[in-house]
Amino acid sequence: MSLKVGLPRALFYHTYYPLWQAFYAALGVETVVSPETNKGILNKGIKCVVDETCLPVKVFFGHVAELCEAGADYLFVPRLVSVEKKAYICPKFMGLPDMLKASRIQRPPLIAPVINFVKVTPLQKILDECAAPFTRNRVKINRAWQKAWQEQKQHEENLRKITPHHDLTILLLGHDYNVYDRYINMDLIKKLQQLGCQVMTAAHIAREERDRQIEKFPRSVFWTYGRNLIGAAYHFMEQPGLKGVIILSSFGCGIDSFIDNFIIRRLTEQKIPHLNVVLDEHTGEGGLNTRLEAFVDIIRWRRDYHQGYVSPHGQYLGSAERNA
Amino acid sequence: MGNTWVALKGMLEYIGLEVVVPPPITKETLFLGVQHAPEFACLPLKINIGNLIEAKKLGADVFIMAGGTGPCRFGLYAQLEKEILEDLGYHYDSLIIEPPDTGYWQFLKQVKKIVGKASWWRVFQGIRFGYQKALAVDKLEKLVEEIRPRETVKGTADKIFQNALQIIDRAQNFGELEESYILSSEKLRHIPKDERKKVLKIGLVGEIYTLLEPFASADIEKKLGYLGAEVRRSLYLSEWVNEHLFLKAKGPSIRDFARPFLNHFVGGHGQETIGAGVAFANAGFDGIVQVAPLTCMPEIVAHNIFPEVSRDCGIPVLNIYVDEQTGEAGINTRLEAFIELLEARRKPDGKVVSKPDAVQGVAQDVASPIPREAAQKAAHKEGPDTLTM
Repeated sequence: MSLKVGLPRALFYHTYYPLWQAFYAALGVETVVSPETNKGILNKGIKCVVDETCLPVKVFFGHVAELCEAGADYLFVPRLVSVEKKAYICPKFMGLPDMLKASRIQRPPLIAPVINFVKVTPLQKILDECAAPFTRNRVKINRAWQKAWQEQKQHEENLRKITPHHDLTILLLGHDYNVYDRYINMDLIKKLQQLGCQVMTAAHIAREERDRQIEKFPRSVFWTYGRNLIGAAYHFMEQPGLKGVIILSSFGCGIDSFIDNFIIRRLTEQKIPHLNVVLDEHTGEGGLNTRLEAFVDIIRWRRDYHQGYVSPHGQYLGSAERNA
Repeated sequence: MGNTWVALKGMLEYIGLEVVVPPPITKETLFLGVQHAPEFACLPLKINIGNLIEAKKLGADVFIMAGGTGPCRFGLYAQLEKEILEDLGYHYDSLIIEPPDTGYWQFLKQVKKIVGKASWWRVFQGIRFGYQKALAVDKLEKLVEEIRPRETVKGTADKIFQNALQIIDRAQNFGELEESYILSSEKLRHIPKDERKKVLKIGLVGEIYTLLEPFASADIEKKLGYLGAEVRRSLYLSEWVNEHLFLKAKGPSIRDFARPFLNHFVGGHGQETIGAGVAFANAGFDGIVQVAPLTCMPEIVAHNIFPEVSRDCGIPVLNIYVDEQTGEAGINTRLEAFIELLEARRKPDGKVVSKPDAVQGVAQDVASPIPREAAQKAAHKEGPDTLTM
């Protein structure tokens, strides 16, 4: 019987799934991925962690619980400290394996390599750790890595392709696990497409472009997601055409509480309409639909009727300013 | 931040700068901050912004702020504050001091920018002076923490301490500082108190700002003291300075205690929180209280791990999040209940039973989902005395 590695479909899975799946596939290890998020998974997650934890982490625990029931021999939960120099992910990602141990989920052993590129961890060591339960053959591991890395690059390239064929471009700014999890964001991308919008995300912008744009920010931003979002926002500001920005964050997200504010300030200066959508456990869709429709309509009206009185300052388009 | 101002003011004045101390934090300060800060930002930022607006009205024109390289949000405080204040029309020059680990040269250059013409020797002496003040304040505070639950007339120690802060603040040189410290500590030692009283020992852990600033934590430390518990914090200013600025580590770091519960640095003081929790448990404390601002990322990680620490070390933990809700009744009730629970855990002879499930049962009866029968059985073993306490 072959061993199975469980990959929870949450958090960084949404960014790195081609890499992880291809790596284990090349090693000849079977992977089990939890199903797409659903109400049951979310409810399971909520029971595992303290209330103050943010939605994505709750969802993650739900997926872990789901996988454990499905029966995996190992769980792949890397301790993602940092995926690039001078930028961290989020304190919660750093403590993920420990939080998992403290929760009372009955779980198989973890594969939890520390991935930290602030202090350079040798890649070989990480790979060895990932493959440790299955093989110690370095040649095989490295070959698997090469293949997986190609796969990941290809995936990122595919994401970048856009064929503009709509009049209105919406930049959707959010962490990957919120943007790509169709359950927790209530299929936001599809909703926007149905409203006739071209949807762009931070993934559409190449890494080099992001690094170039982030230079405009007066201080170094030490979160990878913060860099992605601010970089994408700067890039988007330079683009021509009719546009709007939707900022998608989860309730109580520490990183976004700051980053969103920085972005909104800059968008307001540029008079770019923006909408701030905050996700939590509530699942009522009506409110979100209304807000999206209103947002898109208003942007189009501004163009079609030159209605200068529609505030461009964000005050009436949902801003983070408390006294708005 | 609590009594930090005494030390900082001492240092900067010694160097020869004029210092505006923002008025003590009040609800008004918090209100100003909450109005202008992002909603999900943590409490310290909100208070900070309130402070800066109030200080501007008193004529301050430069603010000095520490920087950071993450992953805690504090590293971007200065930038966000500057932008918010700019939008409000308050123009500040800001000096952001990056921590020395990003390069000593950079650090020194920034320091030089602040101090202007003062000589390096003067600066060095100033830092030493500020540190001595911090040390004096912390030593006195520890004394107060011991006296609070035992004093005959409640509030005496705090009055003397407030007075001591004034005297220490006025001290202009090392001699005066020494004198004021000795005077105040003598006063504190002579407070009439019940020496034989058995008091509970509680470790206060959590995020640094909420630990050091009484307003932010609704005076939890004092409240616990008056409820009859001797409180020890996991962080004191002078120790923090010692560790982070002078880069001196004394003995095993508090972080080492965090293993195996939390094996990696999580930003802020997350690992210290867990480490201190374990250290307090090992030192025979009766309970732990964790305070943190709502949405604080490192502390949420710690909070998720505390149940395990509690199980393994057999020590009850109370987690309190603070935000702009200033109603105190809720916190008072929770603290009282926690104290009573700890009292009940003690055996009648005053000795604490640390591990066995027997005692856990009584505690769990109040708070946790342990089966009722188990709790009752445990209570039976304990004897009726403990239950009526």
